[in-house]
Amino acid sequence: MVYVCKLRYSSVGLIDGFRLPSALCARRVFRVDFRYWVTPDPRLYSFRCQKIKCNLEVHLLHPKTLTMAIETLKHLTILPQSTYIDALRFLPPLSALDRYIVSASFNSDSDEASISIHSFNTTNSPSLTLQSSFPSSSRVTSLKVAQKSLQNPLIAASTITGSIHILFPNPIDASFQSEVSVPEKTLHLGSVSCLDLQENGSECVSVGEDGRVNLISVGDSALDYRRVFDSKGLVSYTAARWASPTEFATGGLGNALQWWDLRRAGGPVSQFKGNWAQGATSGIVHSIDIHPSRKHTCVAGGSFGSVFAWDLRRPQQPIVLSGIDNGETATCISESDVWEVQYDTFTSASDHTNLSSKGVLPVMICSEDGILAVLKQAEEPAELLAENCAINCFDIDRQNPSDVICSLEWESIGLLTRA
Amino acid sequence: MPGILTPSGDSSSIIPYSPEPNTPTLYTLHHDLKPPITPRISISWSRGNSLRVTLFRPLTTSIDDEPGGKVVDLKLSGEDVDTEINDAARWRRIAYGSVSPFAHLQNKKNAMAALSELRHSAPYDGEWSKYVLEYSKEINSLLGSKKTSLPSLIEDPKTVLKNVEEPSSLKAGWELLEIFYANKQSHPWIPEQLVDWLSDYDALFSGQMPSVHLRLVEFQADLINIQAVENEPAYWQAISSALAVGWLDIVVKLLRLHGSYQLNQLGTRETENGLVEAVAVLVSKMPRMRANLPSGKLGECYNNKSDFMRAWEKWRAQITKLDCSAFWLQCSHNQTKESLKNLLQILLGNTGTLSSATCNWVELYMAHFLYIRPFTSGLESMYVLAQKCIQLKPASSLHKLMRLMLGILEENTEVVLAECSRSFGPWMIAHATELLTAGSVEAEILLKEERDNLGGISIEESHRLVYAQVLSSHALTWQIAPIYLISCVKHGVGLLEILLYKQPAYHSQVLLKNIEICRMYDLDNVSSNAMKIAGVHHWKHGRKGAGVFWLQQARDEIRLNRIAQKLFDFVGKSISDESFEQWEGLIELLGSESRTAGGLEFLHKYRDFKRSLQQIRDGVLNDAARKAGDALILLMKNPSTPQRFWLPLLFDSLKLLNWQERPLLNVSQTNLLLNKLQELSVARLRPDFVEVGLPPQALSSVRLALATNLGRAILEE
Repeated sequence: MVYVCKLRYSSVGLIDGFRLPSALCARRVFRVDFRYWVTPDPRLYSFRCQKIKCNLEVHLLHPKTLTMAIETLKHLTILPQSTYIDALRFLPPLSALDRYIVSASFNSDSDEASISIHSFNTTNSPSLTLQSSFPSSSRVTSLKVAQKSLQNPLIAASTITGSIHILFPNPIDASFQSEVSVPEKTLHLGSVSCLDLQENGSECVSVGEDGRVNLISVGDSALDYRRVFDSKGLVSYTAARWASPTEFATGGLGNALQWWDLRRAGGPVSQFKGNWAQGATSGIVHSIDIHPSRKHTCVAGGSFGSVFAWDLRRPQQPIVLSGIDNGETATCISESDVWEVQYDTFTSASDHTNLSSKGVLPVMICSEDGILAVLKQAEEPAELLAENCAINCFDIDRQNPSDVICSLEWESIGLLTRA
Repeated sequence: MPGILTPSGDSSSIIPYSPEPNTPTLYTLHHDLKPPITPRISISWSRGNSLRVTLFRPLTTSIDDEPGGKVVDLKLSGEDVDTEINDAARWRRIAYGSVSPFAHLQNKKNAMAALSELRHSAPYDGEWSKYVLEYSKEINSLLGSKKTSLPSLIEDPKTVLKNVEEPSSLKAGWELLEIFYANKQSHPWIPEQLVDWLSDYDALFSGQMPSVHLRLVEFQADLINIQAVENEPAYWQAISSALAVGWLDIVVKLLRLHGSYQLNQLGTRETENGLVEAVAVLVSKMPRMRANLPSGKLGECYNNKSDFMRAWEKWRAQITKLDCSAFWLQCSHNQTKESLKNLLQILLGNTGTLSSATCNWVELYMAHFLYIRPFTSGLESMYVLAQKCIQLKPASSLHKLMRLMLGILEENTEVVLAECSRSFGPWMIAHATELLTAGSVEAEILLKEERDNLGGISIEESHRLVYAQVLSSHALTWQIAPIYLISCVKHGVGLLEILLYKQPAYHSQVLLKNIEICRMYDLDNVSSNAMKIAGVHHWKHGRKGAGVFWLQQARDEIRLNRIAQKLFDFVGKSISDESFEQWEGLIELLGSESRTAGGLEFLHKYRDFKRSLQQIRDGVLNDAARKAGDALILLMKNPSTPQRFWLPLLFDSLKLLNWQERPLLNVSQTNLLLNKLQELSVARLRPDFVEVGLPPQALSSVRLALATNLGRAILEE
C-alpha cells in the first residue's frame, strides 16, 4: 500500500534514534512512499509523532487533489545550462512568429555575468537557442521587460554593484541594438535589490537595501533619474512594483509594505505592517505583484513561505494565502522563502465563472524548497513542480499564459506547458 | 585518505604515484592600484582552491582618493583527475543529479535500519539490493545515455559501426561496479553482461592499446575504397575480431558485403555464397545464456542452464557438420574458404584462433566466455580465467578500467577503492561505496570500521568528507555539500558548521541560504550567529534598519542594547526637528514588543509622544494634550528610557506642564517627574555625565514648571 501524503514539520526531529526526514525529504512538503518508513500506515506515523512531541504532522491528501495537480501540467522540459540563471523573463513578441526569452546568467568559472536572448522553440521537444548576449558588469539582481505601445520591447536589469542597464533588442535578429545605463554608486550605495518597469516602459523604479527609492525615466539615448526618497539606511527595501503610472508599492524587512504616490513627495502614502502573530513579523518581502485590474490589492511573498494580499481599503488586515502562522484557515505550501509571486493569468473555463466572486485572484509562486504552485484563496494549492533544488524565479508568458518558464538553482531552466 | 601518497619508486608506497614534474606556475594579479606598491602582501585561503591576496599601500604616501589597498581573489587552476570530463559544468550537472538518488538511498537505509531494530532481525534483506540497484541505475543514467544518432531512413550498407556519442570511462567504471555489486539478480549472466559492457566501451581502450574497435574503425575508413572485399585480408580480420568478442550483428552485416551476394555473380559463385550464408545464419543463431537481448543484437536467448546446454550442443553439432561438409571442396575462392573455416574455429572455441583474433586480454577474456566457458561463474574461477588471459595477451601497462576489473575479480575491496579514487576521483568513490557494501559483509566491515589512523572515522566517512570538501569549494555546489556531510556520523555536523560559518553572511542571498540549511538541520546556533554577523555588517555600513532587523532575528539583546545607545545619539540630533518621518519605517520594524526590540523599545514610545506633541502644536486639542501627558509619564517610568533623554523630554513638554486650561498631570505624576529631575541633578555631579545641547536655563525652567504644576494639581485635588 502506497500512501501519497504531505508531511508538515517545523523542525526535523529524531525518531527512534535516527533522523527523519532525511536530507532531501526535509526540504519540503513532499510525497513519501510509506513502504520505506517506520510505520506502514501514515496515520500511525502521525500518532507516533504526536507521542514524541516532534513537530511533524502527516496529512493524507485526498487522492483527487493530487491527480488534479498532476493533470494541470501537460509538458515539462528541464534544460541544463552551464551557467547559474539569476533571472529570466519572456520577451514581448519581437515579430509575429518568433518567441524569445531573456535570461540573466552568471558563469562561476569565468566570473562573468551576462544578459542573453534565447529563441524559444515549442515543438515536441522544446529547446532554447542563444541569439545574442550582452556582458553585464556584475551579477543581475532583477530583470524586467516592458513594451512601449506598438514599439520594440525593452529590458531593464539591475546589478549587485548598483548599476542599472536598459537594453533595446533588435526586432529583426534579436541582437542588442542599443544600451543605456546608470553607472554604479550613482543611484544606490551597494546593490540594487529590485527594479520595476512601468507597463509602457517609460519609467522605472529602483529600490535598494540602502533605503533609497529612485525613479528613472527611460529615453532612447539617455536615462534621467531622480531620488524619490532616501531613508538613509533606516529602512531597507527589497521589492518594488508599479500599480499605476503614478503609484507603486515597495516591500521590505519585517514583512512590511509601503505604498507610494509620486504626486505626494516626502515618504510613503501608506504603510502596512499587519497584525501578524508572533514569528511572521520577522519575514522579508521578496516579491510583490499588483494586478492591472485590481490596483488596490497587492500580493506579496516572502520568508517562511508566507504569501499574503494587502488590500489598501483594509490596510491592517492581510489576507493570508499561505504561511505558517495562519492557524487553520489557509494552507502552507512551503516553509522556505517564496522568491517570486505573480498573478496567474492562465485560467481554465471552469474558473472563469467564479472568478469575480473571489477576493484574491490566483497567484503563482516559486520557493526555495523547489515548489512551483498556484494558490487560490480558500482552495487547496495546485502544485506544478516539486523539485529537489530551489526555484529562483519564473515567468508566465503574457501572450500564452499556459506556458511558464522557471530557473532552477542547479543551473537549469524549466519549461512548462499547462493543459 | 587511505594510502598516504609517497613519491614513486619508494617501496613502501601503496599506490604507485608519479607526481607531475614540478614546474612552478605563474599567476598574474589584476589589481587597479597605482604604483608604487610596497611588498606588503597578505595571503590566505579563500573559498575552494582560490587564494585571497591582500595588497597594502604604504601608510606614509596615502592619497585621499586612492584606496589604502586591495583584496584580490586568485583562482588556482586545479587538475581534474578524469581528463575526459574536463568540462566543469558537466561535472556540476553530475554532482547535482546524484544528490537525489544518494539522499533517497540514505533515507531508505536509515528507515530499514530502524525497522530491523524494531523487529530484531538482520539489517539486510532481499529488498535492500533492489534499492541499491535502483540507485545505481539512476546514477548510471546521469553519466550519459547510450543514445545513438537518429537512424537514417536509408541505411548505408557500408557503415559498420554506429555513431555513438563518445563513451566516458566514468560511466564504464560505474557500469562495471553495477554488474558485479548492484545487480544481484542477474549474477548468472555476468559473462554476457561483460560482453555487452565491452561492446559499449571497447573504444575506451583504443587510446592506450590495440583493440577490436580500433581495428573496425580503421577498416571502415578503408571500406569505401575497396572493390571486392573478400580479397582483402583486413576484411576477414575485421570479421573474425568482431566475432571473437561477440558483436554478431556486425559480423553478419560484414559477411553480407561478400562479393558473392552481388546479383551478377550469384550464378557463378553459388556454392561460395551458400557457405557464407550458412556461416552467417549459424552466427546469428548462436545460443546466449541470458534473459533477453536488446533489439538489433543477434543470438538466441536461453534463460536456464539445461535449455541452453541442449541448444549449445545442437548448435555446435551444426557447426561441426558444416565444417566437415563437402561443399568446401567446391568453393573456388580460396581466401573465402580459409577465412570461413577460421570463423568456424572461433565458433568452436579454438584457443589459438581466439587469441589471434582479439587484441587485448579483456577481449580474449570475453571470447573465452562466449565460446569456451559460457558457464563460468563465481569470482574465483573468473579471476583464474582472467589471469590466464593476461598471460596469453600480456600488456605493458593496464588501462584503468582493466585495473578496476581485476580488483573486482580479485575480490580485493581495497584495490577497488584505490582504483576508484585514483582513476575516477572523489565523486566516484563517495557514491560507489554504496555499491561495494551492498550485500558484502567483508566490504562493509572494511568500509565502516572506525580507524584510528583516519582520526577515528571510517573509510566510507572519510571519502564522503573528501567529496563534500570538493563540493564546498565551489560557489555553486557548496549548498549540496550538507547532504553528504549530514550522512557522516562522526565529523559531519562539525564540518557542516564550519562550512556554514565560512560563507559570507553579509551577502544577503548567501545568508538566506545559510539560514535555510540551518533550519533543515536544526543548527539554530549557527544561523543566529550568521544573523548577528550580518546585522553588525549592515549596521556598520549604514543600513541601520537591516542591522536592527537581523539582530532582532538573532535575538541578540546585548548588541541591540549597544546599538540602541548609538542610535540615541543619532536620535537626539535629528528627532526633534521635522525629519521624524524617516524614523517611521524603523520604528514600524521594531514592532511593539519590547522583548525583541531590546533598548530600542524607547523609540516606539518616543514616537507616540512626539506625535501627540505635534498634534498640539498644530492646533490646541485637549485630548491630544492628555495623551501626550500620559505618553510622557510612560516614557519617564520606563526603565529603558536613557537618562540623558530625561531633560530634553521634559524640556520638550514644557508646554504640557504649563497647560493653560487645567493641570494635565496629577500630584503623584508630578512627584515622579520631580524625583526624576532630582536624580538627574545628582547625576550631573558625576564626572561621566554627558551634557545635552540644551539652553543652560533648561533645568531651572523645567523645575519651575513642575513646581507650578504641582501647586495647581494640589489645588485641583
